[in-house]
Amino acid sequence: MTEAIYPQVRIVSARFLRPDTAEQLLNRLVQVGGIRRMSINGPSIPATVPYGPARGQPNPHPDRKVIHVGDQDVQLQVQVGTIILELEDESCISAICEAVDEVFADKDFSCTVQQGRYMKTQPTMSDYAKYGPDADKEILGLVDPRKKGGPIIIQGTK
Amino acid sequence: MAYKPQYGPGTSKVAENRRKQMNPSQKLEKMRDVTDEDIVLILGHRAPGAAYPTAHPPLAEQQEPDCPIRKIVTPTDGAKAGDRVRYIQFADSMFFAPCHPYQRTYTECYRFRGIDPGTLSGRQIVECRERDLEKYSKELVETELLDAARTGIRGATVHGHSLRLAENGMMFDMLQRSVLGEDGIVRYVKNQIGEPLDRAVAIGKPLDEKWLKAHTTIFHSLGGTPYRDDAEYIEYVQRIHSLRTKYGFMPKE
Repeated sequence: MTEAIYPQVRIVSARFLRPDTAEQLLNRLVQVGGIRRMSINGPSIPATVPYGPARGQPNPHPDRKVIHVGDQDVQLQVQVGTIILELEDESCISAICEAVDEVFADKDFSCTVQQGRYMKTQPTMSDYAKYGPDADKEILGLVDPRKKGGPIIIQGTK
Repeated sequence: MAYKPQYGPGTSKVAENRRKQMNPSQKLEKMRDVTDEDIVLILGHRAPGAAYPTAHPPLAEQQEPDCPIRKIVTPTDGAKAGDRVRYIQFADSMFFAPCHPYQRTYTECYRFRGIDPGTLSGRQIVECRERDLEKYSKELVETELLDAARTGIRGATVHGHSLRLAENGMMFDMLQRSVLGEDGIVRYVKNQIGEPLDRAVAIGKPLDEKWLKAHTTIFHSLGGTPYRDDAEYIEYVQRIHSLRTKYGFMPKE
């Protein structure tokens, strides 16, 4: 769960991003700093075919890649469409807008930065029913807490 | 006076494109060349060159009951040979794909025989005898009904028609059956259910945005023809809606 005191922004591009563009954008955001948490959203790219007659077979996909963000390797499991950020304070927002504009300057599609509430602040009844009372509150509302492999921690400059 | 089908209402370009696709006397523009073997590979129902498996003996070899309907209707080649029933399924992007599920079903019903189409919001499946299917699929793939980037041949895991396009203009596909190469040509690397193919099947370059907007059958208020701009279409749909709502009350016009 998140504290409602922290501002949040959402970066939405008009097209789904290729892994190298996503890597470039995320690295630029990491340089800006002031980000507490980040969630990468988009349609899932599973490792195996999830259903249909070929269910269970491996699913080689050119966009399911490991990218390098900050000092960490990140396994992409989705085609990046939206990035949600929780910030330390509102002063970073203009720097984030600048960073996004810089990355998308040479692209032929746009990308917008919106400010609002995009992370849950308290568990819902369904969350309680699905994940029980002991679910990890740090990631509840961002991803499925039952998922193996916790969040990736990128060391800041502070 | 002989009945002359009108195919659909509307005065807009989109309505005209819809009528053109549905009207069997209008020849569909051929956009690309795909071989019979390529089609068999994409469909993935049998190995190329293999015999057609059968569901029943050929009609000529079995005793047919004395039925007046069977005397009127000539069986298709596939039915005559006793082929299995197989399918092809398409997903069309909402971003100005040349065809869309309802349109496909109408078009196929006007143009093909012995088919069983299934229409859903994001995908359209057509089932028929295997031999006929390959013939029909070839027409569906080679003509203007398909765009290499915004139409997907997807037997399963079709998700993507209502999503944003990828950076290179391809419709999202969880299984990435078709890949846009460096040379700008789209190739199918998996068959329609997502099994890798022995060799990639090229289906040509994606059509440009201008062509798609001129040939689309999808109304779109962002960048295309908005539905509200076609007054005749709206009037027709409202009339049908009103009549079917009042149907239980015995409408009189």
